[in-house]
Amino acid sequence: MGAYVVRRIAYGFLVVLGVLLFLFVLFFGAVTPEDMARRAIGEKAPPEAVAQWIVNHGYHRPRLWNPEHPADTLLFDHFRSMLSFDFGRSDADDVPIERRLREGIAPSLSLTLPLFLLGLFGGIALSLFVAYFRDTYIDTVGVALCVLGMSVSIVIYIIGGQYLIGKLLRWFPISGFDSSPAVILRFLALPISVALAAGIGESVRFYRTVFLEETNRDYVRTARAKGCGDGRVMSRHVLRNALIPILTRVVMAIPFLFTGSILLESFFGIPGLGSMTVDAINGNDFATLRVMVFIGSLAFVAGQILTDVSYALVDPRVRLG
Amino acid sequence: MRRRLLGTALAMGALLLAACTNNPYPDEDSSRKILYSEIAEPPKTLDPAVAYSTADHAVTGPVYETLLEYHFLIRPYVLIPGIATRVPAAQPLPGGRVAYRFELRDDLLFEDDPCFALGGEGEREGRTTRSVRAADVAFELMRIADPEVNSPVVTTFWKIEGMREFGERLASRREADPGFAELRIDRQYQAAGPVEGLRVLSETELEIVLSAAYPQMLYWFAMQFATPVPWEAVAHYDGKEGRDAFAEHPVGAGPFRLVRYQKRSRIALERSPNWYGIRHPEARAPAATYPTEGEPGDEALGRLDPAYLGRALPFIERVELRYEKETIPAFNKFLQGYYDASGVIQESFDKIIHEGNLSAEMQAIGMRLEKSIVPSVYYLGFNMDDPEVGRRAGERGRKLRQAMSLAVDAREFTRIFANGRGIPAETPIPPGLFGYEEGYRNPYRELDLARAQRLLSEAGYPNGIDPGTGKPLHLSFDTGDTSARGRLRYLFFVEAWRKIGLDVEIAATDYNQFQDKVRRGAYQIFFWGWVADYPDPENFLFLLWGPMARSASSGPNTANFSDPRFDELFLAMRDRANDQRRLELIREMRAILERERPWIELFHPESYGLYQPWVRNVKPLGMSFSTLKYQDVDPELRARLREEWNRPVRWPAYAMAALVVVLVIPGVVTFFRERQ
Repeated sequence: MGAYVVRRIAYGFLVVLGVLLFLFVLFFGAVTPEDMARRAIGEKAPPEAVAQWIVNHGYHRPRLWNPEHPADTLLFDHFRSMLSFDFGRSDADDVPIERRLREGIAPSLSLTLPLFLLGLFGGIALSLFVAYFRDTYIDTVGVALCVLGMSVSIVIYIIGGQYLIGKLLRWFPISGFDSSPAVILRFLALPISVALAAGIGESVRFYRTVFLEETNRDYVRTARAKGCGDGRVMSRHVLRNALIPILTRVVMAIPFLFTGSILLESFFGIPGLGSMTVDAINGNDFATLRVMVFIGSLAFVAGQILTDVSYALVDPRVRLG
Repeated sequence: MRRRLLGTALAMGALLLAACTNNPYPDEDSSRKILYSEIAEPPKTLDPAVAYSTADHAVTGPVYETLLEYHFLIRPYVLIPGIATRVPAAQPLPGGRVAYRFELRDDLLFEDDPCFALGGEGEREGRTTRSVRAADVAFELMRIADPEVNSPVVTTFWKIEGMREFGERLASRREADPGFAELRIDRQYQAAGPVEGLRVLSETELEIVLSAAYPQMLYWFAMQFATPVPWEAVAHYDGKEGRDAFAEHPVGAGPFRLVRYQKRSRIALERSPNWYGIRHPEARAPAATYPTEGEPGDEALGRLDPAYLGRALPFIERVELRYEKETIPAFNKFLQGYYDASGVIQESFDKIIHEGNLSAEMQAIGMRLEKSIVPSVYYLGFNMDDPEVGRRAGERGRKLRQAMSLAVDAREFTRIFANGRGIPAETPIPPGLFGYEEGYRNPYRELDLARAQRLLSEAGYPNGIDPGTGKPLHLSFDTGDTSARGRLRYLFFVEAWRKIGLDVEIAATDYNQFQDKVRRGAYQIFFWGWVADYPDPENFLFLLWGPMARSASSGPNTANFSDPRFDELFLAMRDRANDQRRLELIREMRAILERERPWIELFHPESYGLYQPWVRNVKPLGMSFSTLKYQDVDPELRARLREEWNRPVRWPAYAMAALVVVLVIPGVVTFFRERQ
């Protein structure tokens, strides 16, 4: 398995390099250093100040090739800084990006972690429930509600949730964030509820299908024949054997908990890494954007490797090689 | 056991629901004099030499006190002493140079900050503050010239003798000697100095010498660029070894100090006990006392309430700024009473405003509407370098521009796209500034299609037909706005010009591509706006001054307008104080613009500010200057109304829970019965 993991890491490294190259070409294909400077120091800044900004941020150097100093190019510096995890400072406000990441990760995790856990356990519990009552009206109504829920865009859930729960019913603040322990739950309640409502339908449908597939297998019949109760069959036998498809979804999602949620954070004003990415795109902040894309690609590669490894760990039949 | 579990779950659910609140603030703050406000974007920097956006100024404004300020109530704008003892007069010097001598108050202290205990006498004394000296203003001005600081207004301050050379010396010494760059910042400046035009005459006296007359310079001393900054703060807050960067850790001498800076969520300012107005209220300094006089109408609007006249500032104890990226949630929170002020968003305009006034519903809850013309202008511009619409087309181009100007109905445009918030612009100069004349009507800024068509014929385009192609004259309207709303807005102009037979195509690209087109000069007609930095006609007319042309100098003259007589008049106008001769110069410039039509002036926008009933002493200034120290709130009224407006509606939760129980329980019971 060790050789397999090493090989996957090497493939993953190539994927990350490709993503970084693609980002560089895309960004500088659309944006010039002058645009970046004007966004950073204002439309009214005179050309002298714009030129100084470009020099101070190193964007006056050749982009791809410098015959005198081959290492002194934007492309080389781009790869060097990312691969050495030397993230530098934001182009928009000169704040060290590493610090920005540290500040953003807690708000992101305070949203994504409870959402992940509630979504996982809530989804499994609900799907076990509807699977248990299969072929009854509870199952039918449950599946219908899931399909209905899956058919609506999360943006509608967000806007509708803010209007209904925040404005009309006044249960929670419409948006905002404050990390003070006295008030943090007020701010997280609405985005978590909205995201759960938007995502639970799809999870329940998926898990239900997995559980129903398992309940038709021989070992379930055997367990029942031996006198196992329904509850025990579902929780001990079916749940354990359904772990592989569940792991596929879950392990892949874990690395992305750290990159935050772009939509939720933007709409609810949560200062996490997701909304930081949006701000970086809007502000032509290449320095921050490349870090976020780099972290996103690392998370993707890590998620894939972790999923494969977890297969082998939970199912003795799977052999990696 | 199951019943007990169910009971516990239901009780917890009910308890949770009972604890529900939409109040985004800690409950204990409800009785405090806190002003709550939102910002649409986080500040980029709090360095006063660099800060230039409204979001930056929302924080730096109350923290950094300026030498001069604008009178809170009187319009047209009047400068009053801030931390200076008086507004200095220009003193002519040989060679056309001009000097201004500022005298600072002698009772000024910086806010408390650990940086003052570092190094030298501060360390010995263990102090947390020190007096503000004239040298601190000089230090900040030198920072503006420092290329590493990268101030966006550096070119303006190059008007001070020797500033540019100082910046160049500093850069070359840093490049030549890495050891020099490691020196403490004040020592670097000392070694690269002096600046001829910056003379620290005593602890409280500073003389500024300009290489040529520039009366507008005084306005720049009402901006935070020229505020006193302690060298200790810049030296200490270098962003290294875990220390803050100075751009995030302001140390000023203003009425408020920054106490919390989570720029992407929450920023808090608190009254600074070191502010001279708080330490010496008996001095009744002009910028530390509520004014006793204002404009006609201020009294009726409650701005000259006897309860405030002549009282020491500030009235509020804390300011809470929250970052709100989306406008609709922010506005809804304002309607719930959680922000003290708001603009009127487009989506709710008809609900809030009725025929230019507050709707009856809003009036009933005590909401107030403050309207003011913003010192700014929106306009359509022609690229005067273009062979078709510009100066190279000669008389033909001039008549074409005149005709196009007569076809655009600015009043209708404002009504449709700005909900009528604005007045038609006749010249670039907005109301409230010297040179604006209410009675003046631009003969090319009225809607007159017949005259427009006559002019088109005279230009050689009868009925808009280009004789070269036999088809309607094809022109391009270039924009960096690709939104659906933007397209509708530009279609208005296209339709207006279609009525006189012209075929104008909207060339919409993204913002960056549009900037690139502007740089390359590949544009014909564009839509633009300008907001005043300071209340002087020079700040608008320089947008058409030849040397500021985008093509020649990348300046803000995007129309690339260049007219020798206009340029000559501009220089004469710029260097004069507001007098009759200056007005005559402006009139002559206006006549040139009237005839040449590099712009089609559209409108001067009107800002609609909504204020909660508990907010007192509000008067929009129009420009980006803080008036927080004048404002007050009534926390008791606020707490009462917030409670009234935000009682949670809980019955849907109970109904939903009941529905789930009613739907699920029978099924479960039946299922188990059948299984048995």
